[in-house]
Amino acid sequence: MTTDLRISNISKVYPGCIANDNVSLQFKSGKIYALLGENGAGKSTLVKILSGVIRPDNGEVYLNEKNLKLSSPLDAKKNKIGMVFQHFNLFETLSIFENLSIDTNEDNKSLRVKINEILKKYNFSIDLDVPVLNLSAGQKQKVEIIRCLLRNPKVLIMDEPTSVLTEQETEELFISLKKFCDEGILIIYITHKLKEVLSLCDEVAVMRKGKVVSVSQTQNEKVETLANKMVGQKLAKIKKKDNISRNKDEIFKVKHLNFYSEDPFETNLVNLNFSVKKGECLGIAGISGNGQNELFQILSGEIITPDTSIIFRNKEIAKLNPKQRREYLMAFSPEDRISQAAVPELKIYENVALNNFKSSNFFEKGLVNERKIKEHSKKILSDFSVNTDNVDLKSQFLSGGNLQKLILGRELITAPELLICYNPTWGLDVGAINYIHETLIKINDQEKSTILISTDTEELLKLSDRIAVIYKGKLSKIMHSEEVTPEKLGVLMGGGSID
Amino acid sequence: MSLDISFIGILIGSIMASSVPLILAASGELITERSGVLNLGVEGMMIIGAISGFALMVITDNLFIAIVGSMLSGVIISLIFGFLTQSLLTNHVATGLALTIFGIGLSAMLGKNFVGIPGKEFPILFSSLKESIPFFGPILFGHSIVLYFAFALPFLTNYFLRKTKLGLVVRGVGDSPVSASNQGINVILIRYCCILYGGAMCGLAGAYLSLIYTPQWIENMTAGRGWIALALVVFATWSPIKVLIGALIFGGITILQLHMQAIGFRIPVQFLSALPYLMTIIVLVVISRDSRKIKLNTPTSLGRIFYKEK
Repeated sequence: MTTDLRISNISKVYPGCIANDNVSLQFKSGKIYALLGENGAGKSTLVKILSGVIRPDNGEVYLNEKNLKLSSPLDAKKNKIGMVFQHFNLFETLSIFENLSIDTNEDNKSLRVKINEILKKYNFSIDLDVPVLNLSAGQKQKVEIIRCLLRNPKVLIMDEPTSVLTEQETEELFISLKKFCDEGILIIYITHKLKEVLSLCDEVAVMRKGKVVSVSQTQNEKVETLANKMVGQKLAKIKKKDNISRNKDEIFKVKHLNFYSEDPFETNLVNLNFSVKKGECLGIAGISGNGQNELFQILSGEIITPDTSIIFRNKEIAKLNPKQRREYLMAFSPEDRISQAAVPELKIYENVALNNFKSSNFFEKGLVNERKIKEHSKKILSDFSVNTDNVDLKSQFLSGGNLQKLILGRELITAPELLICYNPTWGLDVGAINYIHETLIKINDQEKSTILISTDTEELLKLSDRIAVIYKGKLSKIMHSEEVTPEKLGVLMGGGSID
Repeated sequence: MSLDISFIGILIGSIMASSVPLILAASGELITERSGVLNLGVEGMMIIGAISGFALMVITDNLFIAIVGSMLSGVIISLIFGFLTQSLLTNHVATGLALTIFGIGLSAMLGKNFVGIPGKEFPILFSSLKESIPFFGPILFGHSIVLYFAFALPFLTNYFLRKTKLGLVVRGVGDSPVSASNQGINVILIRYCCILYGGAMCGLAGAYLSLIYTPQWIENMTAGRGWIALALVVFATWSPIKVLIGALIFGGITILQLHMQAIGFRIPVQFLSALPYLMTIIVLVVISRDSRKIKLNTPTSLGRIFYKEK
């Protein structure tokens, strides 16, 4: 039996923002549909409407020509619409089995049999009796998917499912999704990642500012065409100027960096030695979990390791804490924007004040100089084109891209000599990525240096002057970027050797 | 004073009696907190239960009506808390504190005319067995029905939370109200029910004091037991069986305090009354050493305001 889902003239208005503007779309089972758009384009609102979490101001949803009244999540469930949210809807302290049984009326025994059948059919291996908080993001997602499958869904909606997954987990997910599709489940896949659309989906609808701007077959699309549709303008191609920094002075030099940890979730670092020249970008590639976290923390001073020598601008700084390192004009942009780089509950100007220097005069005699901080924050917002001028806004209301611009702005406005960033474009849409890349190139043009630790090889090849690969806590030899190809990087990142 | 075996039996019996209000109030509050709601109004709800129970007993001369009435009064006063925190989304801590202050004041006002009136004797069960069996008699028999109910309650609560679907839903709501809501669970309704149930148990705990334990009305007669019950829930790391154990320890401290003074053992009274709080802090420090354990045991959304998307 085929499933036919039709959305007709859906509108949803929030104060100050039209989230969905007359959206009409049609889906048929047997295909995987992509719903593509930047952060804030209205994708999530649309799927929340489909899953009954929020109600549209206008418009109808038809499933097999039956008009659905979706006024609560229960209605969506009854009509066999399953939904896997971007932020998991799981109960962390309950066991997996309890998570799956909480909203069914089935008795525990037959439910267990049913779950085990699903586990077997799709080759999932999960222990049902451990609490969810022990699971990896990929496993949690599987629990969510099982929860949907238990209800024999006709429609399965995945909201940005790969944003928390490793590459391996992403591959497994795609295999499962294709299987579900073959079994006649209609799949709607929400994402802002262009490559995923091209490799997984059959048809793609692009949303921008609450409207559907294009519906097409993915086989007729390319990364560039989709990106342009998504952003609404031609994206400028960024290319780095050839850097003539080869003969310049070394500004930053690390020697004998060793790190040993008893925590099995941390990676030991073994004798890292490298240096960065003035105006240069040193890229450090690697699959996540190979020691990047530890390396970033040691470079920023969060972890102090014995016997390591770090020379910066001719001074030994290995024993200094992050604040002291900042005073010497280093700047840091950690991977996790929400919990490491910024405090989401604080207002924008308060987050700016966190990065306080003696010279910035944010505090006088122990009192907060609010006017000064706000002026400074306004400057950051406008200089780094953050999409708001309200410095009293809580940071949690900024989208990922805007938050990253704010963080970079905060770090860069003091004109540091060296910026160390870790996955600066993680989870951002193409428009924001472009902006961040332009900014990082500009830094090098101004004769300042950067260390870019990233898991995105394309980004590294685009921005770095020299690249090294970190694998299991060891650093490969450092190569000039013109002699590096994605294939070479891939081999090194997998632990292979290229000589 | 000789420490013979029958004396120890009587001692244990009296410790049990003194722990009853703690068990009742803490078991009720435990359910409330498991659903993610922190109600600091336990003391206030208890004292309202105490005065309502006593007043109804004096007016109707019917103990059954008095007991049921005290529970109803607990429900009504907790309904105020529920309406404020769940429907008007006020802060749990501030509202709970206000409830306690309100309850203490209101009970003093209502109770003015009941001061000095003697209470009525509450029927005790198996009184003949109490006398005839040495040691076990005073422990097992000769108590009011409320005591037997109180000692069964932690086991019932445990069964409810672990084995029933509704108990699972309560735990789920306390863990993540957003997830629960997205699964189609009516979070606000569940939380209202848990708050009202907590109110009923606190009301009963208060009535136990004014009708059974010391059958009379004295202003502020709960004397901080509500706060100990709150500490007890944390002490027990939200597990009903540990509430029972904790209540016996805390109740035991109260009784020992009296006996030690009688023997002439010089421990400052203030130290003994501070002991429950000290022990709670120690337990908190011990369980906090293992962040995973504290995460597994604490209702994750405790005290946070839940706002439903529209």
